[in-house]
Amino acid sequence: MPSSQVPSIAGTALDPTALRPAIADAEILRVGPGELRAKLIELRAAGCSMLLDIGGVDYLERDPRFDVVYHLLALPVKPAGVAEVGVPRRVRVLAGVPGDAPALPSIHDLWPNADWAEREIYDLFGIVFEGHPDLRRIQMPYEWEGHPLRKDYPLRGPAREATPRPAFALKSNVPAGAPPGGKVAAALQKQIARARGQVVSTPEEKKP
Amino acid sequence: MSVAPPGVPALDVVEVKGNMMTLSLGPQHPSTHGVLQVVVQVSGEVVEKADMEIGYLHTGIEKSAENLFWTQAGTVIERMDYLSPLGNAMAYVLAVEQLLGVTDRIPERAQSIRVLLCELTRIASHCVWLGTGGIDLGAISTFFYAFDMREDILDLIEQSGGARMHPNYLRIGGINGDLPDGFLARLDALIEKFPVRMRELRALLQNNPILRDRMIDVGIVSTQDAVAWGLTGPSLRASGIGYDVRKAFPYSGYEKYAFDVPVRDDGDAYARFLVRLDEMDEAMRIVGQVRKELEGRGPIMIDDPKIAQPAKETIALSMEALIHHFKIVSEAFRVPPGDVYQAIESPRGELGYYVVSNGDNRPYRIRTRPPSMYNLQALKLLAPGNLIADLVVMIGSLDPVFGEVDR
Repeated sequence: MPSSQVPSIAGTALDPTALRPAIADAEILRVGPGELRAKLIELRAAGCSMLLDIGGVDYLERDPRFDVVYHLLALPVKPAGVAEVGVPRRVRVLAGVPGDAPALPSIHDLWPNADWAEREIYDLFGIVFEGHPDLRRIQMPYEWEGHPLRKDYPLRGPAREATPRPAFALKSNVPAGAPPGGKVAAALQKQIARARGQVVSTPEEKKP
Repeated sequence: MSVAPPGVPALDVVEVKGNMMTLSLGPQHPSTHGVLQVVVQVSGEVVEKADMEIGYLHTGIEKSAENLFWTQAGTVIERMDYLSPLGNAMAYVLAVEQLLGVTDRIPERAQSIRVLLCELTRIASHCVWLGTGGIDLGAISTFFYAFDMREDILDLIEQSGGARMHPNYLRIGGINGDLPDGFLARLDALIEKFPVRMRELRALLQNNPILRDRMIDVGIVSTQDAVAWGLTGPSLRASGIGYDVRKAFPYSGYEKYAFDVPVRDDGDAYARFLVRLDEMDEAMRIVGQVRKELEGRGPIMIDDPKIAQPAKETIALSMEALIHHFKIVSEAFRVPPGDVYQAIESPRGELGYYVVSNGDNRPYRIRTRPPSMYNLQALKLLAPGNLIADLVVMIGSLDPVFGEVDR
């Protein structure tokens, strides 16, 4: 796509009904927060034994605002060689979460490794997982305010964003021929003068 | 446990309750392989409960990547798993190439070089695991043998990409420049030296009675637990499941190469140790096969001026090349909207990138599936009922990398 063309929003990731064009990397399902647990229990019973990952995406202008993405993999639960594992089924479940008071049911009891994954999404996106036994921050410090991976969270953090960046002196602001100020500049000028053979008297040198 | 001067509470003891003591192991502790804090409840020397604090190395890489161009994001992404930077780059470029729809148009030579470097990185990463894991068990000399081999590999990576650790050599559409003259000769020297070195390492370790005593039947993960806790990579394969992304979902031409996936059923630290050792041999087998394809020269970048930077020599001669170069450097390219999950087999397991594009010239979201994080989490399952000394072995055998756990 030429870089000067701006794509339309329709059919893009920002469109909640759109599923991505054909890249066959997994089966993709979209569920609401209410039916999420039932769907995951069904998939688990159907052989999707491993919860690979839970990820979050913040689509700021969209409704529902967040997507929580569950990646499942169907592996055998008894010892199996490479041939028996074959090409396991991959399933991706996308759950839309509304922007105000975002919450989802926890699946900590279905897969124990959801513990840290849900804590991370709570930490970085502020989505609450109801029923999680120990929902606290995991990556950021406990006393941190805000959820950094939200799209309305500034990149440099709110504290640094509040302080203005240093304004650099424009060339037109500096009068022509004006010497740069400061102790460093003075010391430099002294050195230059010494190198040129000019004698510069300083208070220290006057002392016997 | 440190001895504190009178009047100052000892920092390591968090709480003493009856027979139980709550201790903090880490975050600055040599045996935690990075900045991991394990808050252990011990009765005597037996761990009753281990709770881990992570995030000491959280640098917001995912957030940073969202604010860089597609072409620039690779630089920060390489810094996640700092022992396997080329693995991270591989997963990222493959994901973006899928979104661009150019996966089939990547030159074969570029794919071969990618595989070569990823397998070399796998060996280098396992060398670090072997060396530091040896130190955990008191086998200091292992460290020097393993790091010597790693240094040879890092020299090769430096020669090809220009930097030892984070070369940003893999680019969307191919690789950045062909292998330099003299690279293949050094690679041949390494291929020749490697079996000797592996024999030495195995002689030093594999049947060492102390090592076997410390590792056998320590930190056993059953097959069911390994699947339920989302273990991948050598940790999963040591628990009996032969799942390897390179075999199940081949990428970058892995289906062309003959290699075996070592699988063991014991599930203990020793099984994980042997699986990794065997994997180093298999990785070298792939390197040997790729080596045969690398004679001569060929295209190493996709033939698409919108994605690939034109060669520097052409910029002074061609107006078009100058324009494309300017465009790619100043505003990169737009990637069609969509989302994709691309997994590769990193030295630690399934490393996945869930990449979302909204059609802009910056990634909308890059979510990493960090294998280390899920492998490490299983320590909560493994630790209770074991000695603190065994806890150290378990952490080492799970091979976490904290750049990736914390991102």
